[in-house]
Amino acid sequence: MAATAAVTAGNRRRRSRAPAGGAGNDDAEEHHANPFIDTASSTSSRVQFRNVASRARWVEEAGAAEVVESKGKLWLTTGVTRGGKLCYNVEEIGFLVEKSALILLNDKDQTIGIEDIYEKIAGGKYGCSWDTFQAYKHLKSLGYIVGRYGVPWTLKNSSTSDTNQSFNKVDGTCSDITKSLKEMHIDRLTPSFEVYLPNSMFKKSSPGAPNFLLCLLRNKPFARVELEMLENNFGGIPLKYCHVDNNGRVSFLCFDEVALPRLP
Amino acid sequence: MSRIIADLQASLRDSEAVAMLSGDGGDAILAVQHDQAVLLNRAAFGRHIENAGEENRQWFQLGPEEVFFLCHALKCITVQSENKKQMGEAELWDLFTSTSEPFPEMYEAYQHLRLKNWVVKSGLQYGADFVAYRHHPALVHSEFAVIVVPEGKAFGGRCGRLQVWSDLLCALRASGSVAKTLLVLTISTKGCDLTSSDCLCQLIVHERTITRWIPQQCRELRDNPSREEANWDVQIQKPCREEASREEQEDTGEGIVFSYWGVILSFTIISALAYKLKF
Repeated sequence: MAATAAVTAGNRRRRSRAPAGGAGNDDAEEHHANPFIDTASSTSSRVQFRNVASRARWVEEAGAAEVVESKGKLWLTTGVTRGGKLCYNVEEIGFLVEKSALILLNDKDQTIGIEDIYEKIAGGKYGCSWDTFQAYKHLKSLGYIVGRYGVPWTLKNSSTSDTNQSFNKVDGTCSDITKSLKEMHIDRLTPSFEVYLPNSMFKKSSPGAPNFLLCLLRNKPFARVELEMLENNFGGIPLKYCHVDNNGRVSFLCFDEVALPRLP
Repeated sequence: MSRIIADLQASLRDSEAVAMLSGDGGDAILAVQHDQAVLLNRAAFGRHIENAGEENRQWFQLGPEEVFFLCHALKCITVQSENKKQMGEAELWDLFTSTSEPFPEMYEAYQHLRLKNWVVKSGLQYGADFVAYRHHPALVHSEFAVIVVPEGKAFGGRCGRLQVWSDLLCALRASGSVAKTLLVLTISTKGCDLTSSDCLCQLIVHERTITRWIPQQCRELRDNPSREEANWDVQIQKPCREEASREEQEDTGEGIVFSYWGVILSFTIISALAYKLKF
């Protein structure tokens, strides 16, 4: 007993001796949950929303879901409005279903399970890859407001062809879903998301300019020339870059051009 | 700093200071008078060599970039080889580039910062090519850990830095753990002959910083989160620093093929830190 106490005290001392993190916060210890200790499984970390789950129906042609029953306040900062109808794309569906805030239905009103939703995301056919989904979830969980780049939050017109267009790219020349989907993750020089800081006053009808655009990087970092092209094309709004590694760990970086001053 | 350097330049020029190359390493030693030593120290050039025997003169060891800067940019010293042979600029350039292939881009980066009156010292102990200070290191903390990345065919196979995530994130981690911002100087050229120091005026230096962004810290700027969002945050509401550390834990033991000393040393630093924290 005494030995255990001493060890614990020693561990505490050692932890407090860890060097204070500098601006980069890079010095802290790693935190590993010990899987060899038998503890009661903690499901308390999961917040359940079963009672207030919204319901949405998957529309294959649109590659998105139309909300049929909306509950709670999530819709204020999630999903886009098309002709008065609220629609969620795959990453929004994935996020909400994981939180049990949404039930996805097929056209026979049967529940679509999470594994099928994961399949849709992993398949990459609906404008969002698995990596992009990790990044989306990470920011959404922290309260940021995240929308696909170039997709307006609201559109009055609800005709099918417009729906197809608007989910992917708001670019008059780009009405083909496949082409714009390719632009989403194969063309590295396009931001994936526009992000707003957490804000209870956010309105889809007038969202204002995003706080930053997020570009996803997977295989290799950007070269200088690519960075400059991005900044020229999307200048004005700050750009942040997100790297999702093989383990699904999400890091955010800024590659800011600077001009070191000439000092006196 | 510009005044200190101007004074140093004038003083060395007047005394026709001569530096002596020490072997093949590209280093040189310089003997100076006491007042020049003060200026050298204040301008943070070289390393003072303790010598109890000498009363009138002080000795400094200078690195290749420093030697070339004093010789080529400030034109206030001349250089002799160890057998008393006068070394012209061209000969010095040949010597330095043959000793160290990346010398052209390293020197361009060094000169670029020094001409803006930043203090530039070797960054090897921090896992970088250089460290840059706004003033003398004793007066300020270093702001930047500098990594030099050449770009263009003229540099041959040396353009590989920061091209893979492990290298970039390693550099970022190394600079962060010594509280410096990572500054990447990309040296580009349309194509020039690196065998002569004339190429220097054709090299373009691009400055870019790489910094981490911690989403948890930015959240503090929000006004009133909606109730649902606040509920989700419950399991994530931890002190920012802890979150940041959990997010950033990395195993940087992955293999890297570059043979730059900076990369090797930065790995050493990181693993040394990791060991220190475990005991």
